Amino acid sequence: MADPIRALGAAVKLISDSGSPSHDSSITHVTGKSEYVDDRPMLKGELHCGLVYSPYAHARVVRLDTAPALKIPGVICTVTASDVSHNMWGSIFQDQPIIAADETHYVGEVVAVVGAETKEALAKGIAAVIVEWEKLADIRTISQAIAAKSFIGSLRTISTGDAEGALTSAPHSVAGTLEIGGADHFYLESQAVVVYPKEDGQLEVHSSTQHPTETQHVVAEACGLRFSDVVCIAKRLGGAFGGKESQAAPIAAYAALIAQRSGRPARLVLSKDDDMIITGKRNPFQIEYRCGFDDKGKILALDAMLHSDGGAYADLSTAIMERALLHCDNAYSIANMRVRGQVCRTNFHPHTAFRGFGGPKGVAMIESIIEDIARVVGRDALDVRTLNCYDQTQDITHYGQRVQNNHLPALFASLENRCEYRKRREDIRVWNAERSHKNNAPVRGLSMTAVKFGISFTTRFLNQGNALVNVHRDGTVQVSTGAVEMGQGVNSRIASIVAQQFGLPVSSVRMMPTSTEKNANTSPTAASTGTDINGAAAAKACESICSRLAGLAIQLRSIPAELWATKTAGLGTMPEIIVGDGVGPNGTDDQRVEFTGGHVTVTDRSGAVFAIGFAELIRDAYRNRISLSDYGYYTTPNLGFDKVQGKGNAFLYFAQGVAASEVELDPDTGEVKVRRVDILMDLGRPVNHALDMGQVMGGFIQGMGWVTTEHLVYDINGKLLSHSPSTYKIPNVQDTPRVFNADLIFNEGNTQNIRGSKASGEPPLLLSLSVWTAIRDAIMSARTHSTTEEVQLVPLAIPATAERVLRGLSPESFAIWDAQEASGVH
Amino acid sequence: MRDFALIHLNGVRREIRGREALMMLAEWLRKEAGLSGTKIVCAEGDCGACTVLRASCRARSHSDQYLNFEAMNSCIATVAQMDGTHIVTVEGMQCGDHLSPAQEAMRKCHASQCGYCTPGFVMAISAMLERHDQADARTASNYLTGNLCRCTGYAPIVEAALTVRATEKHSVARRYSDPHLISESVSSTKLSMLVEYDGTKLFAPVSLREAVTFSAAHPGTRVLGAATDLGVQVNKGKPLPTSLLSLHLIPELYETKLTRSRVTFGSRVTLAEVRRVSQDVAPEFARFLNLFASPQIKNVATLVGNIANGSPIGDTLPFLLIAGGEVHVASRPGAKGVVRKRKIPMTELYVGYKKLALEIGEIITHISFDRTSAKEVMSLCKVTQRKDLDISAVSGAFSLTLKSILKASRNGKTTPYVVCARIAYGGVAATPLRMPEVELALQGELTTERIESAAHLIARSIKPISDVRGSASYRRVAAANLFRRFGNEVLRG
Repeated sequence: MADPIRALGAAVKLISDSGSPSHDSSITHVTGKSEYVDDRPMLKGELHCGLVYSPYAHARVVRLDTAPALKIPGVICTVTASDVSHNMWGSIFQDQPIIAADETHYVGEVVAVVGAETKEALAKGIAAVIVEWEKLADIRTISQAIAAKSFIGSLRTISTGDAEGALTSAPHSVAGTLEIGGADHFYLESQAVVVYPKEDGQLEVHSSTQHPTETQHVVAEACGLRFSDVVCIAKRLGGAFGGKESQAAPIAAYAALIAQRSGRPARLVLSKDDDMIITGKRNPFQIEYRCGFDDKGKILALDAMLHSDGGAYADLSTAIMERALLHCDNAYSIANMRVRGQVCRTNFHPHTAFRGFGGPKGVAMIESIIEDIARVVGRDALDVRTLNCYDQTQDITHYGQRVQNNHLPALFASLENRCEYRKRREDIRVWNAERSHKNNAPVRGLSMTAVKFGISFTTRFLNQGNALVNVHRDGTVQVSTGAVEMGQGVNSRIASIVAQQFGLPVSSVRMMPTSTEKNANTSPTAASTGTDINGAAAAKACESICSRLAGLAIQLRSIPAELWATKTAGLGTMPEIIVGDGVGPNGTDDQRVEFTGGHVTVTDRSGAVFAIGFAELIRDAYRNRISLSDYGYYTTPNLGFDKVQGKGNAFLYFAQGVAASEVELDPDTGEVKVRRVDILMDLGRPVNHALDMGQVMGGFIQGMGWVTTEHLVYDINGKLLSHSPSTYKIPNVQDTPRVFNADLIFNEGNTQNIRGSKASGEPPLLLSLSVWTAIRDAIMSARTHSTTEEVQLVPLAIPATAERVLRGLSPESFAIWDAQEASGVH
Repeated sequence: MRDFALIHLNGVRREIRGREALMMLAEWLRKEAGLSGTKIVCAEGDCGACTVLRASCRARSHSDQYLNFEAMNSCIATVAQMDGTHIVTVEGMQCGDHLSPAQEAMRKCHASQCGYCTPGFVMAISAMLERHDQADARTASNYLTGNLCRCTGYAPIVEAALTVRATEKHSVARRYSDPHLISESVSSTKLSMLVEYDGTKLFAPVSLREAVTFSAAHPGTRVLGAATDLGVQVNKGKPLPTSLLSLHLIPELYETKLTRSRVTFGSRVTLAEVRRVSQDVAPEFARFLNLFASPQIKNVATLVGNIANGSPIGDTLPFLLIAGGEVHVASRPGAKGVVRKRKIPMTELYVGYKKLALEIGEIITHISFDRTSAKEVMSLCKVTQRKDLDISAVSGAFSLTLKSILKASRNGKTTPYVVCARIAYGGVAATPLRMPEVELALQGELTTERIESAAHLIARSIKPISDVRGSASYRRVAAANLFRRFGNEVLRG
């Protein structure tokens, strides 16, 4: 069978051969010259800030006295709740104090900030603050929260058809509960901020934030300033992944309060341990589901109740739940469906955005259900997937949006061939059947899953962006947008877009630090939309400038060159050229203008071409008083999702992909080895192929960590125990798949988005669920095969740690010891 | 006596005193030396973002023209411990405007996204290029084991490490082996060093006699090996002990001695060196050390440091327990003026959680253990959440000395007969455990039943706890499974 996708375009194998421009910071990154917040030199008098936080999940502050800290030499000032002007913040609901006053609701909730001249004095100062706590009853599990009706926001429902009726009449059904753990972002650069007090009460905030606008606002409110008195700047972030979308804001406020109070620059850089203890994670979920299907495995009905652990405050959890509900279908058309979601309030750090933003939880559920269906009806899971996959006959989601420009069936078919799925499935069947004769050889599993990820913020007003483009008189360009560079390459992509608009090499375009002074009222760089929104806004600004330049070029054509303003030193021998309306960036019908190769060309109907160097045209434009700067504003079109009804167009488009993972489990220890991964994605027409591949492979491995080794363990007080890389295991180079193939299809059809591209930030992460379903496939093979061939649907929580895997493989060997532990006999 | 540590930093001589000498190297580089390319992420030697290259000017043999640069973590070692070494940071890698081969490969392969881990990876690859003109996949990933990246998924970084080629022009050893600086360093470090700040003193004597005298005079003195554990504790808020002793200037502690039956390593011998030597004399131990720690740690951490730290999950300890390990200790000279020395068997060293049977003032100078005999089958294994560079939930060391017996009943097939069994575990109690009752039970003909009952005995007799790395039940099951697998492998030959 011909590969339906290979025919569309050539595959790129070696990343270095892609020919894509490098990340715009690649040279300063490799030489160590890239500047991050804490690389800023300490100024004279600058203070180090530190936090005093709650050691209990829920406690009353009986007494708080910072006076002893102030007696320590070098400690300059302290700040507590009463010093905060507006002590409440929150991205969706304002429900969280910046500094807690009488009561704390999670381990790590801040009650005081200390500012000191040296780190030694700071450590002593923090230790000297007297806090007396009274422990209060707390809620640590989703089940406890449900029992206590401890919720955040209201119950959300999205439904289509008659789920209950179809469940009753379905020939087969499965039901279960899925436990999904959280994950730490583990951005390498921990939360960091430096605040410089400026004249007349103003503050300049340099923050490692994905959302400079929100950080500006929270700082201003905390300090009792007007928004116009605070500038927030984010030059680059050492990773973020959602963890610095909302949670950078209070961190910035702590340093700002110290700076304001002391009148000195103030710096707060969290240690990795404090960062992990204090800040929120990916929301843990608990999902109960029932699914009905026919003999072939066609899904007839799905009813699911999703509960998430929101932590102590709302943060972004309700929006995360919404996206989870919108992704319960994933790649599969389900006629009768009801999905409900409720965020629970517990006594943990407020959980927050993390790459995928709820989407991975809905997808985990349906991909796991499909593995169950396959076992029940005795078909290969891939056949069940393709049977249910969205196609031309079934293309309406449960929220009523049509799945357009859909490549999912072709992606499945192509990857099936490319990765030799059928042959390997048979090899693994034989391997597992024979392994008992091979001294307890590893158990193998294989699974292919899909992703269909909706791109746009589900909150409509966030889908706007602005950009400032300044062309300088040597023909080079500075671009400022609301997008924050955190490694994903948004700056490089926008620079490419701008360079292409002007027909310049990318090296002529310089991306400037993101600053609220230049780009106000921006949205967070999140939801994978950084390039889509900000790149489109920058392109609009370029179009305005190009339109004026085109008008000038057309007029210059008819003027002898020696009379151009640049040739007369601007002394004005010619009347000034006025560029009116009616000329677009491509000129007019009669005079076609192109910006290419560093030149601007004007071609008339006869085909005669006039060309002028871009820089020369710029200099002439300046002398004719034509603006060389512009501001572009973009709003994402065609969005209309009704949150109350749960219906409508939630997304501009979908990014899609499939992945097949093969794993091997050690039957003695439960350790997992990923033998091979094949990924195939539709990311439209990439603006930068290498950067997109970086997102695909990096996102996959990050997700692989979440579903395998990244285990958040809390102690009896609700304090995170795995708060550093010695106990919290993100993937290491040795954990990467032995064979790792990733490829993109060539798709020019995504015309609704800038340059026909698609967002690449989050979607690949969801494909890592194939590692988890492959582990489960292996466990179920090991458990099912033995004697009776009876189907065993073995639940497997996320992350599938070595212990959970071993428990899945041989539950009987644990029984005696668990009983002994439970009875307290040792 | 000197009151400063002498280091060379990117080719420039520096004398570091007092407060700065007691700072962690990474912090000092960033905040005092103005070299912020070196990043601090975990401050516990686990992520490699702070990787720098280090070469000891003193440890070179006379014939070597060039220094021997190796990767190390700069976040968990004090500047004073760098005395007598040359440090090269990411800022020292470029030649003029030219990127070094590692830098160029990382750029070309799009191996840098957010950039925060990048300087560390550049230095890890640069360390590789000091040894290998080009690398195969195994070599490359071994050199990258000590560095974490959260953005790329490693594929482009591995591609960079595989495609990069060393060039003579960029060789760090060639660029930074200034004979003048080296000889100055060698002569300076023939003097003892004492750095002091705010009540804390760090003493580095040039003789063992001075060391034990200092140790006896300052109860509570902490001996610094590589400080890979102490450095972590200090970074996490524990104050630096007020009395510190570094043995880096005492030549005899760098010794390796081999006899026909025993191996002896001085307390300053690094794990990297122990691994190299062990390849011939204790091959299973050498293999196991490949999984142990990162290159950055192995290049500085010592075997004696692992022993002295005494953690129940110290990965080398089960091996030393079954290999006849003995620590050699020294203490203050007696009446005759001779440094007192004695040996303590590893099986008697640990008396409680991280508690060693050492007298006050005693210093471990050497560790010795048996060469692995041709007659014994040995296996060292550990159970971790992540394959590499992870602290064990459980680790096991097994050795069976066998003779084969002919059994008529099995058609002349030979059956292994256990003459001597040695079994030890880590991570299953407050101290690493040798298990004599299991060893006794294993003596005799090795059968499936015997293996099974030993596995049960193991699971029953250990006393693990539940913690962040796994439940007690998991530890029991995994500990038994590890032995069962080893036993069955031996049985099947």
